Amino acid sequence: MTQAFNMADLSTALPEVVLSLVAMVILMLDFIVPKGRRDWLGYLSVLGVLLTLMVLCRQWGATQSAFSGQYLIDPFALFFKILFLASGGLIILMSIGYLRGEGADSGEFYALILFATLGMMLMASAVDLLILYIGLETMSICIYVLAGFLKRERRSNEAALKYLLMGGFSSAIILYGIVMLYGLTGATGLKEIASTLTADTLSNPALILAMVMLAAGFGFKIAAVPFHMYIPDVYEGAPTPITALLAAASEIAGLVILLRVFLVAIPGLQDRWALLFYVLSLLTMTVGNVVAIAQSNIKRMLAYSSIAHIGYLLIGVVAGRELGISATLLYTVVYALMTLGAFAMVILLCVGEVKGERIDDFAGLAQRSPMAAAAMLILLLSLAGVPPTAGFVGKLYLFGAAIERGYILLALIAVVNSAISLFYYMKVAVAMYMRDLPPAGLALSPSRPLRVVLFVTVVGTLAIGIYPGPFLDLAKSSIAGLW
Amino acid sequence: MLLSYLPILILVLLAAGFALATLFLSSALGPRRPSKDKLSTYECGIDPVGSARERFSVKFYLVAMLFIIFDIEIVFLYPWAVILNSLGLFGLVEMFFFLGILLIGLLYVWKKGGLEWTT
Amino acid sequence: MTVIQVVFFLVAAFTTAAAFLVVLAKNIVHCAIALVFTFFGVAALYVLLDAEFLAAVQVLLYVGGITILLLFAIMLTSRISARGVRVMNEQVGMSAVVVFAIFALLAIASLKGFALVGSPPPASYATASLGRLLLTTYVLPFEAVSILLLAAMVGAIILARREREKD
Repeated sequence: MTQAFNMADLSTALPEVVLSLVAMVILMLDFIVPKGRRDWLGYLSVLGVLLTLMVLCRQWGATQSAFSGQYLIDPFALFFKILFLASGGLIILMSIGYLRGEGADSGEFYALILFATLGMMLMASAVDLLILYIGLETMSICIYVLAGFLKRERRSNEAALKYLLMGGFSSAIILYGIVMLYGLTGATGLKEIASTLTADTLSNPALILAMVMLAAGFGFKIAAVPFHMYIPDVYEGAPTPITALLAAASEIAGLVILLRVFLVAIPGLQDRWALLFYVLSLLTMTVGNVVAIAQSNIKRMLAYSSIAHIGYLLIGVVAGRELGISATLLYTVVYALMTLGAFAMVILLCVGEVKGERIDDFAGLAQRSPMAAAAMLILLLSLAGVPPTAGFVGKLYLFGAAIERGYILLALIAVVNSAISLFYYMKVAVAMYMRDLPPAGLALSPSRPLRVVLFVTVVGTLAIGIYPGPFLDLAKSSIAGLW
Repeated sequence: MLLSYLPILILVLLAAGFALATLFLSSALGPRRPSKDKLSTYECGIDPVGSARERFSVKFYLVAMLFIIFDIEIVFLYPWAVILNSLGLFGLVEMFFFLGILLIGLLYVWKKGGLEWTT
Repeated sequence: MTVIQVVFFLVAAFTTAAAFLVVLAKNIVHCAIALVFTFFGVAALYVLLDAEFLAAVQVLLYVGGITILLLFAIMLTSRISARGVRVMNEQVGMSAVVVFAIFALLAIASLKGFALVGSPPPASYATASLGRLLLTTYVLPFEAVSILLLAAMVGAIILARREREKD
């Protein structure tokens, strides 16, 4: 059982080692670089992320288990690690200009984003409940602090406190589920748990309770209704790049461990948890879309819209099998791209006194900057799921998987929801194209890194929308051997 | 094995019993002639200054937070120390990595002035 | 009933009583002090379960660390430690119902479920074997924890620096 650690184990975790070293170097350089010139710590962080990506790509196509079977390198983990690193890099890029604008530039901000990304990478590869939980906590602790980074803003303080309380609460629920699972099976490895559960132990009430607790805990982490109450306030109050981190990376990381635990550890209970997620998915997308209509703050609107998208993502989990799970994987990429793009737009509009957070701030954007308005329009169309954007393709495969597996009603409600969402996304588009520029509108001066983020997200959204084949193939090959 | 905890139990009971008995006996047997000076907060005979319920500085909190983090570190050091002999060099290197990462944390705290009381 | 069982029930009753006091006491400082006793009771339960190392950790971290942190938090919040601060609000009845419903659910499911599985295989909780596991099988979580602690340290400084900038 006890097995000494060897160099092969270390080489499987090399990307994680590189990333943590980069984060520590950034932390130390913070003392040397004077305030006001810490932009280049951000650029250095992005370089570090690229370096990690390069090291990571050597694991392409490999499947290898390490650290006594607790850590698994497989295409599924690799898929999400690349997604998290890419999101992390883009978020750092959009932070550079944002922090300068807020007068809060510092190395810790980038270092904490890198540590949070590291936690997500641990979650992606974890096939043992212990390392899974530690990855989750590493990510969460960093984001608690980052959410409250703007010290002079009351809203930021409130966001940090709310997220800390709800995050701690949900971690405790997950831990309770883990403990019950361990108590019943005597194992923490996901595969070992599955092999211990025989047909007659599957109806064990304690096991069902453990399943419900894990579903509820993960539900908090991915912001599914009815575990979403804190999300709008946290999204609104947190610094905008951190809102993007929460929406585009942290929630997907929660979804990754949800998939791993439910598909690998308790596949025997699929009938039961599919029903559970069916209800969650239905509630999540409906509540998210309906409440989003009434919002006048764009960050709150995007918060409810992200809740709705989590509902769509859960459709794939409900449908299951290759079709459903690969559709979910594809949609995580689509969702991350358009969410990051939308929050980058909010940062773009943050000029002078205007925070860019009211939908009114988008009025007359087409006159002010036709390029920015066009970019936002593409992102909005994608969020609503209109062809030829990525949002359409992603939803097509998700809803298709649901219909294929006989969940006609769920697919139907999802389509109705998409129609509802078109209404509030177009409210922003109408403001941009049909309304006049307020006299106070200043010229937009996006920083170069922010332009890169907008370019990547918009081009990515269009690319997946027009030519989805390779992305779908990648998603399909990434779930091979997952369960 | 649990028998080795018996002395601890006895000590706890004795301590609690002694404290409770002293409280009870002094209130039962002691004479009581209250006056204004006697009822005021005891500060070694000097007139009390201000309220005892003053607001503490957040610095205490920072110290307490750092204390807990290093406390957790000790929790990991202890089982390591117990078996260091049988683990050999390998165990030593591992712990050096663990401590090295935390040392960076300490350096960070130090440089940021987290260990200074006055700024 | 064996002596151990008698001791267990006494300790469990003590812990539960202290936990009730934490929730029900009127003065928030009393709540914090009652929490110390709850933590002590839990440590005693660990000892009864042969988890000595865990008991030591419980005393070191929770009794010695967390409660201190809690008391500091109370004292640095203006006037919260003064008498007359309401510890309850109007939702106390509702939350009591929810708490007991969840408790009943957990208790029934655990009693029924764990009876079906039977007792777990005996494990060695000796500190030495824990240390060996930690540094061989669980070396990855072990090193990951140091990163987590580093992030926590950075977070603590960021939170506390707020005060310094105001001064």
